[in-house]
Amino acid sequence: MRAYLLRRAGISLLTLVIASMVVFLGVRAVPGSPATALTGNTDFSPAALAAINRAYGLDNPLPIQYVDWVGQVVSGHLGSSPVTGMPVTTELGNAFPITFELTVLSMLIALALGIPTGIVAAIRRGRSADYASNGLALFGLSIPSFWFGIMLILLLSVVLRWLPASGFVSFSVSPGANLAHLIMPAFVLGTGVAAVLMRQTRSGMLETLRADYVRTARAKGLSEWSVIGKHALRNSLVTVATVIGLQFGILLSGVAVTEEVFGLPGIGQLTINAVFQRDYPTIEAVALLTAAIVILINLLMDFVYMILSPKVRLAGEPG
Amino acid sequence: MTTVTIPGEGSVPVLSQPSRQGWWRRFRRRPPAVLGLAGVVIVVAVAVFAPLLAHYSPIVSQFGHVLEGPFSSGHILGTDELGRDELSRLIYGSQATLEVGVLATLLAMAIAIPVGIAAGYYRGAADMVAMRVTDVVLAFPFLLIAVGLAAIFGPSLQNVILALGIAQLPGSVRIARAEAMALREQDFVQAAIVTGAKDRVILFRHLFPNMLSPLMVQASVSIPAAILGSALLSFLGLGVQPPTPSWGNMLASAQTYLYNDPWIAIFPGVAIFLTTLSFNLLGDGLRDLFDPSMR
Repeated sequence: MRAYLLRRAGISLLTLVIASMVVFLGVRAVPGSPATALTGNTDFSPAALAAINRAYGLDNPLPIQYVDWVGQVVSGHLGSSPVTGMPVTTELGNAFPITFELTVLSMLIALALGIPTGIVAAIRRGRSADYASNGLALFGLSIPSFWFGIMLILLLSVVLRWLPASGFVSFSVSPGANLAHLIMPAFVLGTGVAAVLMRQTRSGMLETLRADYVRTARAKGLSEWSVIGKHALRNSLVTVATVIGLQFGILLSGVAVTEEVFGLPGIGQLTINAVFQRDYPTIEAVALLTAAIVILINLLMDFVYMILSPKVRLAGEPG
Repeated sequence: MTTVTIPGEGSVPVLSQPSRQGWWRRFRRRPPAVLGLAGVVIVVAVAVFAPLLAHYSPIVSQFGHVLEGPFSSGHILGTDELGRDELSRLIYGSQATLEVGVLATLLAMAIAIPVGIAAGYYRGAADMVAMRVTDVVLAFPFLLIAVGLAAIFGPSLQNVILALGIAQLPGSVRIARAEAMALREQDFVQAAIVTGAKDRVILFRHLFPNMLSPLMVQASVSIPAAILGSALLSFLGLGVQPPTPSWGNMLASAQTYLYNDPWIAIFPGVAIFLTTLSFNLLGDGLRDLFDPSMR
């Protein structure tokens, strides 16, 4: 088990290193000189260009530049945005808590909607509750999240005037207003993930309900609650854990467009603005941060997977 | 499902490739799947026959008819903020939407199938490299891949297709790999290996044809995902560039007029929703046919 943990962690680290190389080379593949990309200026005298190249270490061979860059990133120096003039770490620091809150809230909504409906659909397979859950899942999978967001704004903000259409109030200023601003975007993001979770929970439950140990548990005379809650659900959650990891990366793309629709100044909006303003240091930092988060979450989900699944725990390999 | 009678065991269901006739007969018995197929056929027909169906140009503005409501002066769905016929733009918008969905999926499959087969059949170094590459791709949300490509090459339809194709690689490679690994252990493949069949024959004649149904199911899931992805990218301004209509960029410009003229934000979204819903219904139907255990 320990060997498996170490190997998984090693693979994640290797993935992170390769991902960082992709980010590093990607920013340097942008048309124009890296000096232009990093400072935002285009008019340089040859002397000024040489000075900037020296200052940023751009006259060194690429592998040396990469090592220097990694050193800077690790020590928290991500450069400054040529657009706002602010250090990228400050920009990220302002935007990250908003995106984090939105993501956690939408994951909670997804879990609260997806797992119970998945369980009910599996237990009541082929009956109306199953069809209703499947219909809802199809709806969640097919609806474009940003359009769903626009429609909710139209209904809840424009027509009914129940919730604010856009903007953000921090939790420390007013918890109530904070929730009012985040509940719609979180619901929009959560329903998409809930659909996938519902389907995975359902098929995982159907599989485990057929397994011998569930039959044994029933034969022992255990209550249906204990059969489903203790035996079947635990094993179904194994697949759900992997799905949550995979969904996180997809969720992060949805976060960007949702923040755009609801005017939330999070990482997503920061990225979109950075793209249109050709703010490469910010894009570089966001890409690196996102990749690191996705890799870390998938590693954590692997550990959860291992704790939940006795098969993996005993054999030391995912089944 | 076909059954095989085994002495002492009675009839045992067998997962086999159904004959073409049986396939259609079983497909027809699933109303949601048939509905999905009908929806897909309609959207494809609309895209192909757009010039015949649309009464107005999707691009030319009529500034005397800006933001007219539905059923006004010959415009069934009204006009947009530049006086362009909403219905004609919806009809032409289906072209870009379908193009991205189908081409991104084809691109992903064209790379994923050979890579997945090689990884699953040969294992070893090929497998290690393929898995690490897919891990790295998974680490970047498709939005960031699209953002990177747009930053390097400028926003365009080709980059959207490339970005969404790359984003679909991990899922498709893993499915092709898992299938190749499972098939490799099957008796008929082992027999071919033992009798000294060339790798080329094993891979193309034995492995590939037997992987088609799971790959088809994967494609039917990938196409709607790519359609949603391309709508999202156009909405953010990274995809199809105006004035060429796409359902995503129509929604982007409609958001400004949400308070007074909400209908122009409703129709493109309904079009995207119905299209992805059709593909998803069709995909679910196909999956049920090929993989009865998921039912």
